[in-house]
Amino acid sequence: MAEEKQAVTRRRFGRAVAQAGAAAAVPAVLAGTASGQIATPAPGQVGPVLVGNYAMVDQIRVGGIGIRGRGMADLRMMLGDERVKFVAIADIRNSAREMVKSTVDNYYKNNDCVMYKDPTEILERKDIDALLIATSDRWHGPMAMWAAQSGKDMYIEKPGAMSIAESYAMAENVKRYGVVYQSGCQRKNQYAFEFAVGLARSGKLGRLLAVHADTAIGLGTVDAGGHGWWAADAPEPDPLVFDWDKWLGPCLWRPYNSHYADRGRGEFWDFHAGLLEWASHTVAMAQWAADMEHTEPVEYEPEGGIFRGDGLISRYTINCRYANGIKLVLRNHSWDLLGSCSNRFEGTEGWVETGDSGRIAVSENLKSLLPTRQGKRYDPTAEHIREFIQCIRSRTPPRANAEVTAHTHVASHAAWICAQLNRKVTWDPAKRMFINDEEANRMRSRAYREPWRMEALATNM
Amino acid sequence: MAQTPGQTQPPQGAPQATPQGAPASGQGQPPAGAKPVQVPRPTVPPEFDGLPIWKMEPAKLLALVKDPASTVFQKAIACKKLAFVGGRDAIQPMAALLSHPQLSCYARFGLEPNPDPLVDDVLRAALPKLKGKLQIGVITTIGVRKDAKALDALIGLINDSDAEVAGAAAASVGMIGGLQAAKALQSALGGTKPPVFPVVARACLICAEGLMAGNRPRALELYTQLSATTMPGPVRLAALRNLNAAGPAPPGAKAYPPPTGEAAENDKSGFLGRGR
Repeated sequence: MAEEKQAVTRRRFGRAVAQAGAAAAVPAVLAGTASGQIATPAPGQVGPVLVGNYAMVDQIRVGGIGIRGRGMADLRMMLGDERVKFVAIADIRNSAREMVKSTVDNYYKNNDCVMYKDPTEILERKDIDALLIATSDRWHGPMAMWAAQSGKDMYIEKPGAMSIAESYAMAENVKRYGVVYQSGCQRKNQYAFEFAVGLARSGKLGRLLAVHADTAIGLGTVDAGGHGWWAADAPEPDPLVFDWDKWLGPCLWRPYNSHYADRGRGEFWDFHAGLLEWASHTVAMAQWAADMEHTEPVEYEPEGGIFRGDGLISRYTINCRYANGIKLVLRNHSWDLLGSCSNRFEGTEGWVETGDSGRIAVSENLKSLLPTRQGKRYDPTAEHIREFIQCIRSRTPPRANAEVTAHTHVASHAAWICAQLNRKVTWDPAKRMFINDEEANRMRSRAYREPWRMEALATNM
Repeated sequence: MAQTPGQTQPPQGAPQATPQGAPASGQGQPPAGAKPVQVPRPTVPPEFDGLPIWKMEPAKLLALVKDPASTVFQKAIACKKLAFVGGRDAIQPMAALLSHPQLSCYARFGLEPNPDPLVDDVLRAALPKLKGKLQIGVITTIGVRKDAKALDALIGLINDSDAEVAGAAAASVGMIGGLQAAKALQSALGGTKPPVFPVVARACLICAEGLMAGNRPRALELYTQLSATTMPGPVRLAALRNLNAAGPAPPGAKAYPPPTGEAAENDKSGFLGRGR
């Protein structure tokens, strides 16, 4: 008895509860059965819900596509989750394939991670349930659509689409095939942002007046310069080492130069989603705070920007307005130095601002609500991936699901089009078109280079 | 090992990630709190400096596209700008580039968003003159523009010996949609094999989705066909979800007998349908 009492310390109690929970969560599969072989649930036991290929009873088998810098951060977190088994990598770069395989095999202490040059080979593998996609921007939309068509859930880095049309097409495919989509908008699972959104949505700020989104980077491609030049021709590398045609993907053809892949991605409109580099995070948070996740602002107007013709852009503000009058302000200046990707929400009874530092600033009257401990509390990427894995099992949409991501992207693309045209534009969310503005409407989509295509109803809208 | 917030451990041997909280795809991004900086413009090869072209009026852009002496680069940038500002007079000159291996994508980029119906005419005219990837590009643009007048030609291409062409044609037929498309795709479901068959099935799914608002019975008929076990898994699941959403199974569908045996006899809850 004494031993039993001693065993139930607070720490041990937590462990015991976790173990009990884990046992309760074990679905009706006999130990040792192969993945996906389902036994009849015992009386009183809730059986597993199998959808498609998802062997939720065992581990979720994940494949990766295009994993380098940012993708490696995601991969680390996935490997650390015992519900995940990472089994394969596809990349057009030989070096990237080998780096991921080495990391994964080193972690699992085996040699099992399979390498593919062509992502379609991973998509064809019926034993892979979900994908981690961390290619560059131009491939996110097509990959998401392919993954959905293959019935695979996906955690996919942002920006999720290069145009308004692609945003809708991506969400349409995810909905059609009923897969789980989590955009790499990890701030949706970051405490400081959750707190700020909570203040806005719980009425603590009073009636909401404006939500502000930091769009600090992605400036080089906002106007003409990003369209205007090619790097010098260079001999194309061996496709087995680096497949230039596949790197280009659906983007317009241009001769090879290592500059594009190595460091110049952000300088070119063709390869970069401009404002969305940060807007896909910060506008997402703003739309969440304003309870506008399923629509977009109806007006967009640039203010005070120096939109130069050489592709560089300095201080700027884009004022947007939702149909209910709430403002969405995209700006790259005058932030409270709370970290990158800041957001500020203003209401009739107060304001809140936060950023990646995890610190939170509020109006004087709200200071009593501030958490006692400021700063980062946990890794948002880990938490975001954790939510993704949970949603794979529950078949429910995560916070950064395809639909809210599409609306975020449409709003951000519309703002970017406004910046490129350097004039006010008006948007009709129901008709998915700019009002009386043919030039802006033509900028809603980007034709894919052959032989790539998007299979969607939302094409010419 | 149960995971709780803040307890996720990076695997041993994994390389260090980008700084926590850095934006995704964040190579080369400024640290937290950094002010925006102007990046100096890199050295631009003079033959590939397109800014002067980008600033041209549509008439000059058009002249550049027409001029045989213009370089591939000059024509490419001109087509790109004409996508946004090109009028009817830009259509034929750009259509002339549809057979150019490098410039075809630029020509379609310029033509695809142009709302003038003449674009559909030139694309239909170009379709039989092209082969391989260039033909696929035109097929795709026709699908994006939903040109129903091209259906006959596209339906014919579903049986093309080039599987890539056949798949692209099926996808575009699905996106254009309507009753003619539905009939052709239903027929193709029985007459094609992988790798074309899965594309046909997906196209049929899109077609059904498009019909749902205007011709629900026909859409449900397509969904029923797509819910067969012979269909690709993701397509079958999508069709089943749509059928479930549309309402209960029709009369005559397989009905299961009520539970019997000792458990059912002793059941007092009514849960097994015996409500005592």
